[in-house]
Amino acid sequence: MSTPVYVAGIGSTAFARQPERSLLDLAAEAGRRALADAGLAPSEIGLGAFANALAGKLFGDLTVGQNAFAALGMARLPVVNVENACTSGSTAFYLACLAVRAGEVECAMVIGAEKMCVPQLGLLSSGDSELDTLLGLVTPASFAMRARRHMAEFGTTAAQLAQVSVKNRRHGMLNPLAQFRTEVTVEEVLASPMIADPLTRLQSCPMADGAAALIVCSASMAKRLGARVVVRAATLSTGNYDNPQDMVRWRTDREGAYQAYEQAGIGPEDLDVVECHDAFSIAEILHYEALGLCAPGEGGRLVAAGATALGGRVPVNVSGGLLSRGHPVGATGVEQIVELTRQLRGTAGARQVPGARLGLAHCMGGDRAADTKSMTVAVLAA
Amino acid sequence: MSATARDEALELVPGLVERVDASGRYGLVGSLCPDCGASAFPRAGCCPQCQGTPQRRVVGTAGSLYTYTVVRTRAPFGLPEPYAVGYVDLDESGLRVFGLIDPAAVDALAVGQRMEVGLDRLGVDGGGRPCLRPVFRPERMAADTGVGR
Repeated sequence: MSTPVYVAGIGSTAFARQPERSLLDLAAEAGRRALADAGLAPSEIGLGAFANALAGKLFGDLTVGQNAFAALGMARLPVVNVENACTSGSTAFYLACLAVRAGEVECAMVIGAEKMCVPQLGLLSSGDSELDTLLGLVTPASFAMRARRHMAEFGTTAAQLAQVSVKNRRHGMLNPLAQFRTEVTVEEVLASPMIADPLTRLQSCPMADGAAALIVCSASMAKRLGARVVVRAATLSTGNYDNPQDMVRWRTDREGAYQAYEQAGIGPEDLDVVECHDAFSIAEILHYEALGLCAPGEGGRLVAAGATALGGRVPVNVSGGLLSRGHPVGATGVEQIVELTRQLRGTAGARQVPGARLGLAHCMGGDRAADTKSMTVAVLAA
Repeated sequence: MSATARDEALELVPGLVERVDASGRYGLVGSLCPDCGASAFPRAGCCPQCQGTPQRRVVGTAGSLYTYTVVRTRAPFGLPEPYAVGYVDLDESGLRVFGLIDPAAVDALAVGQRMEVGLDRLGVDGGGRPCLRPVFRPERMAADTGVGR
C-alpha cells in the first residue's frame, strides 16, 4: 500500500451462544478491549465502521453502529454501518483502511458484531425475495453443489472433505474464544446428520453470538503506540456473474486473491499463516485453490496431507476457523484479521505459528448466479 | 392440458416457463439481447452487459446436470423433505441455470445426466397457497408429461 496503515488495537468477545447478552453489549465489550489494547482514548478515534448483517432482519434494528459507538463514549464520531453478508466485517476493515490511507483520519475503529442465536433466525439465504431463494437455494446447498462437482471433476473424496473439519476442530481446541473446543474424527464428521449431500452437520459452521474489533492507524500514530503489524493489502471484490460460471475454479475468488498479492507485492508461497472463510468444509478446499496454496483440484489432497495444519507447510485456520468458532456473520471478517494480528505479534498462545511474519485473511459473502457477491482479502505483516 | 390461465394463476413467478409443443414439453423463458448477443435467465428488462433492450426468448428446454444436491434440512416454502436442487447446462443457449429438481428423482441423480424442463405443483407461495414451480427432471418419453402430478 502506498501510505502504510497499521493495526493499533484488537479485541474480541467469546464466540458462543450467549442468550443473556445483547448485540450492543457484545459490540461494546469488543470495542473496549480494542481501545485498551491500543492504549487509545475514545476521543482519539476519527471514524467508526460498524459491521452487522442480521439485526435488521432479526430484530428490525437499523443504524446499530451509532448505538454501539455511543456506548463507548464516541457520540460525535462519524459512523458508517456496513452490511456485506459474511464479508460485512472485512468490508468495514477495508473502508477503515481507505480512510487512514487517504489521510482523512489518523485512526479508525472497526467493530463487527452479530447476535443470531435466536428462534426467529430460520434458514439463511442470500436474499428472501431472490428467484434462486424462492426455488429452494439455501446457503448449505450452494456449497454442497460445489462439493458434488469438485468430487466429480477432481476425485475429491468425502473423507478429504471431512479432514477440513477434523483439522479445524483440532485447532479450535487451542483457542479459548472458540465455541467448539473438542476433537472430532473423520468417522464422526461423516456420520453426523446430512445437511445437503455431501455436506454433513460437522462440515457446516455453527451459529454464534459474538463481536470483534480492530483499530487501524497511520504510521505516525503507530510509531507513538508501538504498533508494528502493518496492512500490506486490503481488497474488496464483487462477483463477475458470468454465465456459465465454473463452480470449482472460482474466478472471482482467484482474481480477488491475486489482486491482493499484487497490492502486497507477495505470492502465495510467502505466506506463513492463513485465515479463510471455511463456512463449509468444501469452501476451505476451494479457497486453497483460489489462493494458490495448491493447484486447482488438489485442495482435498492438500488437507489430507496435513500441509494446512498447525506445523504444516502453510497453516490455515489455526484459530479453528468458522467451523470451530462459529459464524456470527458481522463479526467473522473482523475476527479473522484480529487472529492474524495475534499471530504476527506472536501472542497466539498454544496455536502460535512459530515466527509468523506474513499472514492473509480471506472472507466471502453472498450468493448470486453461482458466484459470490462479495470477497475480501487482507494481507498483514509483522 | 394446454397452457391455461389457470396454470398462470398458480405459478409462483408467472412467465418463467412456457409450453413449447403439444406434447407437454416446457421451455425456460429468458431473453436474448439483439445488440450484444447476451442470453439471460430469468428475462432481463435491460441488458446488464450493454444496456440494450433484450427480446423474450426460450433459452432452454433440456440440458445436462452440471451439479446437484439433496437438501435435508428443514425445507423452506413448504417444499418436500428432502428436496433436490441443481444447475443444468441448457442445450439451446449454453446458460447454466439453477433450479429445483423433481422430488421423485432425488435418489437417482448423477452429474452429467440429461434433464428437461418441467412445471410442477411444488411447495407454497408467500401466502401459504400451493403453487407451480419450474423444475428440472430426468429426460424421459414425452407421453407421461403432466402438470401437478
